[in-house]
Amino acid sequence: MTNGERSYFDPLILARLSNLYLKARWVVEGIMSGIHRSRSKGFSVEFEEHREYSPGDEIRRIDWKALGKFDRYFIKEYEDETNLRAYLLLDTSASMDYASNGVTKFDYGCILVASLAYLILKQQDAAGLVTFSNRIESFIPPKARRGYLMEILRALEGQRPAGETDVGQILLEIAGKMKRRGLVILVSDLLDEPDAILKGLRLFRFKGNDVIVFHLLDAAELDLPFDGNVLFEDMEETSLKVTADPQAIRKTYRKVVEEFVDHVRKECRENSIDYQLLPTSTPLDHALVSYLGWRG
Amino acid sequence: MSFFFLHPLYLLALAATAIPLLIHLLNRRKVKRIRFPAVRFVLLSQRRISRSYRLRHWILLALRTFAVFLLVLLLAHPIFRTGAGLFAGGGPLSAVILLDNSLSMKWSGGSEGFKQAKDAARLLISSLNDGDRAAVVPTNRFDKSPIRLKGEKEILSRDAEAVQVSAGTADFSAALARAYELLREPAAQREIWLLTDMALTGWENFTIAALGQHDPLIPLKILRIGGKEEPLNATLKEVKMRGHGVGVGLPIHLEASVVNFGDREIKDLLVQLYIDERNREQKLISVPPKAEVGVGFVLQLARPGEHQGYVALKKDGLAGNPISYFTLQAQDKLRVLVVDGDPQTALVQSETFFLARALNPAGERDSSLFLPTVIIPEGMGSVALDAYQVVVLCNVSAVPDAFLARLREYLHKGGGLLLFLGDRVETENYNARLFDSSPPVLPARIREKRTISEAAAEKIEGVETAHPALQLFADERLRDSLQSAKVHGYFRTDRAGGSTLLSLAGGAPLLVEKKGGPGRVLFFTTAADRDWSDLPLKTAYLPLLQSLVSYVAGGKRGAMDPGVIVGNPKTFTLPPSYVGKSLQVIKPDRKERGIIFAAAGEKASAAFQENDLAGVYRLSPASADIGGAAQMYPVNSPFLESRLEAIGEQELKRKLEPIRAEILDREALEKGGTRTDLSLPLLFLLIATLASEGWLAQRF
Repeated sequence: MTNGERSYFDPLILARLSNLYLKARWVVEGIMSGIHRSRSKGFSVEFEEHREYSPGDEIRRIDWKALGKFDRYFIKEYEDETNLRAYLLLDTSASMDYASNGVTKFDYGCILVASLAYLILKQQDAAGLVTFSNRIESFIPPKARRGYLMEILRALEGQRPAGETDVGQILLEIAGKMKRRGLVILVSDLLDEPDAILKGLRLFRFKGNDVIVFHLLDAAELDLPFDGNVLFEDMEETSLKVTADPQAIRKTYRKVVEEFVDHVRKECRENSIDYQLLPTSTPLDHALVSYLGWRG
Repeated sequence: MSFFFLHPLYLLALAATAIPLLIHLLNRRKVKRIRFPAVRFVLLSQRRISRSYRLRHWILLALRTFAVFLLVLLLAHPIFRTGAGLFAGGGPLSAVILLDNSLSMKWSGGSEGFKQAKDAARLLISSLNDGDRAAVVPTNRFDKSPIRLKGEKEILSRDAEAVQVSAGTADFSAALARAYELLREPAAQREIWLLTDMALTGWENFTIAALGQHDPLIPLKILRIGGKEEPLNATLKEVKMRGHGVGVGLPIHLEASVVNFGDREIKDLLVQLYIDERNREQKLISVPPKAEVGVGFVLQLARPGEHQGYVALKKDGLAGNPISYFTLQAQDKLRVLVVDGDPQTALVQSETFFLARALNPAGERDSSLFLPTVIIPEGMGSVALDAYQVVVLCNVSAVPDAFLARLREYLHKGGGLLLFLGDRVETENYNARLFDSSPPVLPARIREKRTISEAAAEKIEGVETAHPALQLFADERLRDSLQSAKVHGYFRTDRAGGSTLLSLAGGAPLLVEKKGGPGRVLFFTTAADRDWSDLPLKTAYLPLLQSLVSYVAGGKRGAMDPGVIVGNPKTFTLPPSYVGKSLQVIKPDRKERGIIFAAAGEKASAAFQENDLAGVYRLSPASADIGGAAQMYPVNSPFLESRLEAIGEQELKRKLEPIRAEILDREALEKGGTRTDLSLPLLFLLIATLASEGWLAQRF
């Protein structure tokens, strides 16, 4: 990938774009120009090729016209027809409003969700959106309709990060609302009790959903790059304050964060959940490639 | 074993050890607020490291404080010393060795004190390293030649060897001032060594204020000479003469005061009196501990003039100055012509009865310095005045012309005249012959006679005790006696031409001196007997008459001179003809020093400063033409210099504050010891501390 192509996915550049649609398109078109179509075959309206019948193939897929013409049984193969229902879950709690490098986790999450929605709908799949803090802020059920993207984008643009996080509880709540199984993509900083979060994610899996977790963290949250004596005030729970010397605790802090991430990653792996840690400095194609990897 | 700093002023920077703590406190106060989403992770980290973090934090703070402390110590340049710690390490040294050569050093340490001090000085000199410089400065020094710091050990040793015990008290102020002056030049190390017996007397006179400019940062090391032995410690405090005047053939009563400074009684102490190098008398005495005993001697001198003498103590093992010098100036008898203007057949009623007895109380030739001859006025015409030093006229009615001419000539030659008036005096005759004629003899014109009742008599009030003739009456008891006398008859006088020495309560002059002319004239406005006053009955009458007669005779009274104390100047006052002239002073060691006389009022005066030896000093060439002044004088050591009692260490240190004084025993110097410069080990320690601090800081 060239430097010019990289700029498609630079969060800082993307953040300067005013329109979320443009941002999503920018990202998706950028990535799609570098990959081929899906090779998975399935029910689709577009014919692709014939192949000779072999026992076990469905009778209804035999091309009777070809039988008359060639006196041999051929099976018609079409380009894969998708029936994916994707739920895009975006954390909009106050902690998502943090940015140490110009792009808040919320902005990053919005672009990511928009890009995913664009991509999903472009592939004829159904995409829906759920934004939440400690309650569900908006719920747009997944549909594969043309123009549905704009509805999702409008919902995203109308959101501002606020309130506390209660990811675990919200996941349980959303799982209850889902009528059909599909793909659940959670975009959050997961700054909540990890066991509660994992409990919610397991429920999704239990109901037969596929789950992808995009764990957004700011670089400062990973490294704690501050100096001097600092009074840390929590962005959600205002009563939570602590004075610390970042220089003195940095090493331990990194270890704590690493342990947290490792714990979540391990639990996800054990529950067949795709987990992707995304520092907000990470180009967005990483996330999309990760999604496409799953989809492919 | 001790520890000191070459540059202790830097220790003030120890306050900087508080800087790490202050920075810590300031940082704690300067808190930056940050809104942060992952505070729970911060909190968790904080909890996890809390204990070890705090421990490391305090260790870090301690290391930083310790590093500053070490840095300050390094700047102050610490030296560790064992024993006396001679000069080694710490860079080139400038040292001044003050050698106490006061008289007490002669007896300190079992009479080995001064030798021990010199040995110590030699040891110090031999310990000097290349590049070091030193000077040997005696505490008692009359030599004005400059002293400088030298690096040549041989020369320094010779300097130390040349110092001799002086006869005086140590002048520590001057010696220390000289040492500080010598050490004014910068040097890596500067030290003053004082080798002394710490005798109390020298330090009693010392004050830090008298020292003047000094540098308290220069260490002063006092090496105590002498041991704990307690020798018989006695000396002669003084030799006094009882009575007034020293006359040929008259008994002279001398009293020597012997002081025992020790805690033991001194028995069989031989006290000898020497006059003109001859032993005239000796006595054996015992002196109780811490006591003073007077020893009396009586002697007679066969010839007039100056005599030298001394009292000596003799006893084996006696520590202390055993000799006290004095001189005696023996006066031949003063011949006094007394003219009795009112002679009576009953002597007691005679005008001169009291006066003659005041001058010679026993009435015998060899019993008084004064030899009065009483004549009646008729004898005035033929008497040879030159045979007398003083003429006293008492109530003489008139002065014959022939006598007046001879009297003028007599006064012109320097003779003395004492005039008493009385009821027989013809004032017109006196005024015409003695006042109106030229040159006048009387200091004032005699006016009317004033006689009052005894009940209304006037007391003597004004007494000019500053006048040489009345100096005796500075004594309160004598003055009281004089002022108790009542006068009920006297002549009024004009005040012009004289100065009033005695005056009555009403202000009328009683005794007037005529000024001008070679001869001295004193004029009493009352009578010499009891007719007009009760003065002859007073205790003061005898000393008054003797003093007045001595004065008008030219002040020539024999006297004893106890001399001056070593180190003090002797002032000579000679006739004005000596102004600009030079005389030699021969010291007891036969060395001669010149003095030049300068004008001082109507006299010639010179002061001789170099009285550094005890003994008798003489003026040379001897001359009779020095107005009766003594041509020899004694110089004695201060008697307290014989006191071997040492000042306490704490007391001495207190006196020397803020100078850093360290008191060492001689043994410490002999044992030597080493001095180690702690700079390098401290530097290594500082580097190690900084490295530890850096390592620990990285761990945070």
